Amino acid sequence: MEMVLQNPVREQKAVSDGIIGMIFLLATEAMFFAGLISAYIVNRAGIPVWPPVGQPRLPIEVTAVNTAILIASAVAIFLFRKNIIANFNKGNKSLKLLVTTILLGGTFLAIQGTEWVRLIGYGLTTTSSLYGSFFYVIIGVHAVHVVAGLAILFYLFKAIKNSATLEIAKNKITVCSMYWYFVVGIWPILYMLVYLM
Amino acid sequence: MSDTLHKKSFFRKYLFSTDHKVIGMQYTITGLFMAAVGGFLAYVFRYNLAYPGDHIPLFGELGAQQYNSFVTCHGMIMVFWVAMPILLAGFGNFLIPTMIGTDDMAFPILNMMSFWIFLLSTIVLLASFFVPGGAFGGGWTMYPPLSAGGYTNPNPDFFKAFFSGASLMILAVALEFVAMLMGGINFLVTTINKRTKGMTPFRIPLVVWFINIATIIFMFSVGPLVAGAVMLLFDITVGTGFYDPARGGDPVLFQHLFWFFGHPEVYVLLLPAVGAIGEILSVFSRKPLFAYKTIIYLALLSAILSVVVWAHHQFVAGIDPRMATFFSVGTIIISIPFAGIFLSYMATLWGGSIRFTVPMMWALGFIGTFLVGGLTGLFLGSNAFDIYAHDTYFVVAHFHYTLFPVVFFGFFAAFYFWFPKFVGKNLNPALGKIHFWCTTVFFNGTFFLLFFNGLGGQHRRINDFSLFSNVVKEPYITFEKIATISAICLILSQFIFLYNFVTSAVRGKKAVKNPWDANTIEWVADSPPPHGNFNPYPEVFRGPYDYSLPGEESDFIPQNVPHTNENIPVLKVKLSVS
Repeated sequence: MEMVLQNPVREQKAVSDGIIGMIFLLATEAMFFAGLISAYIVNRAGIPVWPPVGQPRLPIEVTAVNTAILIASAVAIFLFRKNIIANFNKGNKSLKLLVTTILLGGTFLAIQGTEWVRLIGYGLTTTSSLYGSFFYVIIGVHAVHVVAGLAILFYLFKAIKNSATLEIAKNKITVCSMYWYFVVGIWPILYMLVYLM
Repeated sequence: MSDTLHKKSFFRKYLFSTDHKVIGMQYTITGLFMAAVGGFLAYVFRYNLAYPGDHIPLFGELGAQQYNSFVTCHGMIMVFWVAMPILLAGFGNFLIPTMIGTDDMAFPILNMMSFWIFLLSTIVLLASFFVPGGAFGGGWTMYPPLSAGGYTNPNPDFFKAFFSGASLMILAVALEFVAMLMGGINFLVTTINKRTKGMTPFRIPLVVWFINIATIIFMFSVGPLVAGAVMLLFDITVGTGFYDPARGGDPVLFQHLFWFFGHPEVYVLLLPAVGAIGEILSVFSRKPLFAYKTIIYLALLSAILSVVVWAHHQFVAGIDPRMATFFSVGTIIISIPFAGIFLSYMATLWGGSIRFTVPMMWALGFIGTFLVGGLTGLFLGSNAFDIYAHDTYFVVAHFHYTLFPVVFFGFFAAFYFWFPKFVGKNLNPALGKIHFWCTTVFFNGTFFLLFFNGLGGQHRRINDFSLFSNVVKEPYITFEKIATISAICLILSQFIFLYNFVTSAVRGKKAVKNPWDANTIEWVADSPPPHGNFNPYPEVFRGPYDYSLPGEESDFIPQNVPHTNENIPVLKVKLSVS
């Protein structure tokens, strides 16, 4: 039999544990991307012809559409959080917005995947040039984050299904959507630097 | 009491425990085990330096490639598998929850996973000794192109390249960073959100502040290194050319990414140790810590400066002289906040009723030895001198005069100070003093003369000086031998510590709650603190350093004693209740 310990007497928490933890995690992630981006810019600045001769151009137009899809997923999760906090009892209606977010994120990944297959067919590989190396590493690292983000959103979906009240789920909703905002928010920067610059 | 509270199986209690004290102990023991590994490597290559080509007792003959592996792994192990787990994870896990008055970390399961990932990283690193080609031998800084095999093979066999010393080392470091990141998030969230009632920011003990500042520096600087390591791993295993100049890459880029983390890392290790030393100095001087708030602001200032001085490691790498000047000036400026912190420590000692206990001796020893490291750092910070001294033993001596006091004097001071609290047994003070004097004498014997070797121009990357007899001459050969003999004695003296640790833990006298008459609230808990630490949770009414206040009868007033006007009788009652 476990005896219940007295709870620690605490100062009122201004912000929940999960949110603070996520802020520090995302700050570290931001520095990780900053490292990749600065490495890219340093190398890019030293090479006069970019992209190198004989290497295919990146699919700017398709990726622009794809960027819009990813941003739409962020709008969906914003509306989801707003709706579910306003009315938790109509959970299923709000959950459709979360499913929309997941589907839009999945679509983004699928389009990226098909573009990668096409680019490899055109001769752009990790070893074909520094251009290809940076493209696959930076965009690949982002894709890994999208996959992690989708896993987190799927976890959130299950967690809300299992939560009886808003109080139990609210913190998870905020923390998980913070991660998704980061994944979406870093993408336009990468798109601009890697595709457009 | 602890037995009735949480009855758990052996595995849940000692192996897969979520209790911060058990995790802290796991980190510390793993760190000490790795210190033994790193110390053995040091013994082998130091022996080879003094007596090149001889048969090394307990090892055999050391080849040139093996020598490189051993030096590399000694550096790697001591920084990432000894200093990090002991100073950051060990101190953080033990001290943060108990000193801010809470039961455990904010995310206990994350904390447990942090240790197991760390252990995995340790296994990966040790496994790298047994892959074909042996452990990585290109220096602990892993500079390409050497670490990428010189880019001789643009299409490497992925599996063969992956199971090489270099990529396993990168993988091990990456895993260790994941572990420290999980621990770090826990430290920060716990300190921000789980403080007991009345524990306002400026009532938090210095060491907790410093561990958190160290964690922030770590988390800010680690990302770029991971980015650099990912690219290096691709270069080794996939055959990309991020750092290959022949394909447009830039090898100096890796140095920038590495040192952007590598230099702040020094402060990540330094700050927890300096914080612990501050606690100890205040307790055993029986005086409030001088300029407590100023010390915190100075530490924050040094944290900011520490991330803008990294390129002073690259003065000989061919960076722009204008940039070198900037980094030179920055490096020398960073000594100002640290001079401020150490002068405040001196002022804490000034006029105090000093008690020469074992932890106090380590704390004073830390200040004395670290001073030598800090002052020689000023020489090296100057670009012009560094270009001469960079590849000599001067750098080796300087580095060890900074990191050895930080890691070992800092750890031992804290160990002798908090052992009665967290293990609940008293250590043998006589053995502690012998351990201190042996360590201090042999440490100085090992490294002091190497400054002269460095100034004499002795190169630090040569495994067999007998091949270069025209440049290496007396007295430097004798100095090498003195250094080696001292290093062996230094390693042997640690057996005193081991003996003291084991015998005291097994059959030492039971420790009282507050053996040092200290104020911070971990001393309010039982020794050792049970699962949950406090019952009831203390409320904090005052700062951590109320020693020898004028008009008070007792020369220490713990943080959980309220302020009161006719406080002397009340104080006594409160003390005995706590």
